[in-house]
Amino acid sequence: MSARTLRITLLALTLIGLGVASYLTYVHYAGIKPACTAGESCTKVQTSQYSKLAGVPVALIGLIGYVSILTSLLAPENETSRFATVALTVVGFGFSGYLTGRELFSIHAICEWCVSSAVIMTLLMCLSIWRFLRGDLTARGAEPESRIAAAEPAAPLGATRS
Amino acid sequence: MSTIEGDDEQDLTRKQRREQARAKRRELEQAEAASALRRTRLTQLGIVAVIVVAIVVGIVVATGGGSKKGIATNPIERNATVGEVSSLLGGIPESGNNALGSPTAPVTLQYFADLQCPVCRQFTLGALKPLIESYVRPGELRIEFHSFQTATRDPETFRAQQVAALAAGKQQRGWYYVELFYHQQGEESTGYVTESYLLGLARQVPGLDMGKWASDRSSPELASSVASDEVAAKTHGFSGTPAFAIGKTGGTMQKLEYSSLTDPGSFVTAIQRLAKR
Repeated sequence: MSARTLRITLLALTLIGLGVASYLTYVHYAGIKPACTAGESCTKVQTSQYSKLAGVPVALIGLIGYVSILTSLLAPENETSRFATVALTVVGFGFSGYLTGRELFSIHAICEWCVSSAVIMTLLMCLSIWRFLRGDLTARGAEPESRIAAAEPAAPLGATRS
Repeated sequence: MSTIEGDDEQDLTRKQRREQARAKRRELEQAEAASALRRTRLTQLGIVAVIVVAIVVGIVVATGGGSKKGIATNPIERNATVGEVSSLLGGIPESGNNALGSPTAPVTLQYFADLQCPVCRQFTLGALKPLIESYVRPGELRIEFHSFQTATRDPETFRAQQVAALAAGKQQRGWYYVELFYHQQGEESTGYVTESYLLGLARQVPGLDMGKWASDRSSPELASSVASDEVAAKTHGFSGTPAFAIGKTGGTMQKLEYSSLTDPGSFVTAIQRLAKR
């Protein structure tokens, strides 16, 4: 997968996640029932005591998370921005894992919106880790940054020896 | 000539060898640098993962017990809850074990619930309160409490808790019991509904004859009322709680779809529509 395709995939997944989180945030503040095919499960999850963390709706925390990931993806691509994406998606994955655990073992109901967000976050994390570890090619198809970065410390050594 | 050529060849070979050695060295250095970079990245990832795990464990520990711990043991907290429930229900008649409001109210709302259901708690503490204040108290609406097992896992526990409320209803105190239960609802699936929990709630109900309540709990009439509510809920096609049916008092009940647990808007619209007929 080229760097460009990977970045576009990450952006598309983030936008879908952003849509899901925006809808859940709207549902929370409007006090309405979320559209759900699994009966009252989504309402049960959305209105449970775990739907807020320190008084902040988890849907809003998710929305902030997706906006942050989007910002890191739209930033000029370099080692730092890729690391930021990885850090944010790993945090998002951890948080999604915690919420899914609460759904399964504390609330005993599954909200399909939350599950879809958790799946998106998992995909985002896997792809961004892959992108970070391979020291991705830039979108313009230049030299891999890892190779450029690798050459830098070698230059002064070579200069002293020749 | 041959000596010069030989020297040139030797020079070239030496140059080539030097070049080759330099290239090899550069490759090794690049490989080492790439490997170091990879190690750095993996270390960074590991640090992030450890931080995330620590945060999640912290959140789990902090939210583990939940804020709802069941029956209030602190007398001040308990008195405040009883006071709040009494001011909401005080002066409103109860009838037929499970109905709140004037029996002649033109509209009846059937509220199907499981006392352990946290969403029912949201509704009871949310949209139900203004409905009682604005429609039940003035005599425009009566609300019947019906049983539908959803959150409670054990059928025996479900029957015991729902019957406990109906037994209080035999003394026109059923809604006090329901309200007090929801106000002091414990965390789901923690097995908090015990005999002492049910007894503790009954002791909080103002004016309840404990002896009569205890004997009414074994009434087969109340157990069969819980069972027939389950059948009615399934007939309505309910799949979760809270669920509602509404209609003119004494008439046919229709399933009511609500849009919010905290905003009584969809209930108010249905009540006003039926009241005009």
